[in-house]
Amino acid sequence: MFSRKHKSHGISAAWRIAIWPTTAFALGSAVAIAIMYFLIARDIQERSDAWLSGEAGTLADVSARTPRDALYNRLVREVAELAAREVSDADDSHGQHPTSVFFLQTQPGQDPIWVGPSPKEPFIAAIQQAQLTPRALADVHVPGWKKTFRVVYKSRGDGSGLYLGFADVNGARMLNRLTERCLLVWGITVALGFLITWLVAYRTLLRVDQISDTVSRMGSEDLSSRLPEGRYSDEITRLSRTFNRMLDRIQASVHQMRILTDSVAHDLKSPVTSIRGSLEVALSDGTHGQWHERVAEAIEGLDRLSQLLNTTLDLAEADVGALQTRKETVELSEVVRHLVDLYKPAMAEHGHEISTNLQPVLIDADLSLLNRTIANLLDNEIAHLPLVCRINISVRAKQGEAELTIEDNGPGFPPELRSRAFERFVKGPHSAGHGLGLAFVDAVARAHGGRVEIADRDGGGALLILTFNEAVTENVGR
Amino acid sequence: MRLLLVEDDSAIREFLHRGLSEASYQVDTAKDAKSALALAGEDLYDGFIIDLGLPDMDGLDLISRCRSQGHTAPVLILSARRSVDERVRGLEQGGDDYLTKPFALAELLARLRNLLRRSVPGQPEAVHLRVADLELDLVRREARRGSELLQLTTQEFSLLEYLIRNAGRVVTRTMILDRVWRMRIDPATNVVDVQIYRLRNKVDSEGKRPLIHTIRGVGYVLKEA
Repeated sequence: MFSRKHKSHGISAAWRIAIWPTTAFALGSAVAIAIMYFLIARDIQERSDAWLSGEAGTLADVSARTPRDALYNRLVREVAELAAREVSDADDSHGQHPTSVFFLQTQPGQDPIWVGPSPKEPFIAAIQQAQLTPRALADVHVPGWKKTFRVVYKSRGDGSGLYLGFADVNGARMLNRLTERCLLVWGITVALGFLITWLVAYRTLLRVDQISDTVSRMGSEDLSSRLPEGRYSDEITRLSRTFNRMLDRIQASVHQMRILTDSVAHDLKSPVTSIRGSLEVALSDGTHGQWHERVAEAIEGLDRLSQLLNTTLDLAEADVGALQTRKETVELSEVVRHLVDLYKPAMAEHGHEISTNLQPVLIDADLSLLNRTIANLLDNEIAHLPLVCRINISVRAKQGEAELTIEDNGPGFPPELRSRAFERFVKGPHSAGHGLGLAFVDAVARAHGGRVEIADRDGGGALLILTFNEAVTENVGR
Repeated sequence: MRLLLVEDDSAIREFLHRGLSEASYQVDTAKDAKSALALAGEDLYDGFIIDLGLPDMDGLDLISRCRSQGHTAPVLILSARRSVDERVRGLEQGGDDYLTKPFALAELLARLRNLLRRSVPGQPEAVHLRVADLELDLVRREARRGSELLQLTTQEFSLLEYLIRNAGRVVTRTMILDRVWRMRIDPATNVVDVQIYRLRNKVDSEGKRPLIHTIRGVGYVLKEA
């Protein structure tokens, strides 16, 4: 269904692609042929005009010099016939009019001398009508003749006139033959050009069609099929390649999303179950004290749930690059000191001793996200360290970067988690969290153009380094 | 105090109505912007609670409409959208405070109280705060329980000041972090509880009548008995 529709689109596109260049080519070559035609036609006329003028001159000469005796008419006629034959020779026999040259000499008081096709009357009438000016060449249309005659007129002092007319039937026929052949060649070239362009376009678009066929066959369930990348290294192959890379990325993120949904679903189920259980027990248990306790448990469970939702949403936003940051210039060590003040008593409850080594350094950061990030790291320390450990937090400026280091003398990161520590839902075997903490820290660091790294501390324990770019200050004193 | 509550979700609307009525507010409710505007056109309210995700109009537009109708009473915005931008936009468009769902009723009440107090100007700042025999001198930053001077850190003093200012009212951990530590964080560990525990050890020392009480699942309250 789909593919059929696509295919017809391809053909019409090939048609469109082929029709425009062909039209342009056809018009261009037609203009070229027309120009050639006019040039040749003009050339032929110039040559016949030259012959006409030359011959008229000769005849006028003969007619002037020949003594007017009994032989005068015959002589002039013979010279004229000779001249006429000169052009008529090439004219051979298949014309209807064996000769297309006429000569007329009018003489006052005598019969005109006429050499040319008979009857002569239409010619004489046409000449008289044309009112020729002496020496100039003019077109005269003779009734019964398709071709117009070029006529030269020479008048003589004694009132007689001399007319020589020539219809270049031969030249016209040659021109016609030339035109016919040109048109034939033109038609073939245009048709062939169109066919070739259309074929090339059609074959190219067929490959595009294959791409759209493959892509439309690909459901959201099956993202594993790929487009053939072809043997040419052209635009279409690049298109296929780009599609394939895109499919790789989509497949990867769909896979990631499934893991995420599964994990979220799993992590949601346990609090929902316990909340539901608490409330159920509260309902069936009449005593007020118990009831109170269960409801409180349920609320605490809901708080954890909304915490999970918030972090998951933050991470989802970070994934699409939409984690919104409202950056301001903050003093990192001040932020850390403030948070350590908050966490110190809780850490002391676990027997941890916390020491700080804070140097002032300014960074551009979203204070709210920064607070949550550092709180996250401190929560991690409390959650994962065994009782009575030493924790050291230091902040220092280092080559244009602000470095926050948290180290402890605990057991360190489990080696099997080291490489995946910043992936979501990756958590230690004894972790009670959701495995989102470090993923969140990583997302925030990246949203600030910074990074987070973990390592083993010399002498045992974990080491985590959070790096930000130092704020560019316009402090002249430095 | 008359309040207008605009919320399309009936469960939230009813629970807020009950909670606010119990806190002795007079509450009118509207389930969409149209009926809200109709109510606001008839009556004067001392405060508005407006959900941003209304079916017929964006909550922000509703706030603008109320403001253009001449209502100057404070507006508390409720929203499921958590972005900072959204919050800023809400406050720019005439909202006075912004609360993200899910929230604790205690926090909503506290914020509302703040807003309504803010709108009544000219109350002199107290210098001494007292609950039972606990007394805070805000100028000298000293706290006494009876005749005994309590040795409090700066943080502990601020925490106690916050509790005593809200004496008799439940404050949540989020509120404590927001108001005392000035941070919007959601710790996974019991940092606030430990802070309270330490403070309580000093304030409610052996033999004294306890003043700081834990309300499980909600937060803390400072009160007599």
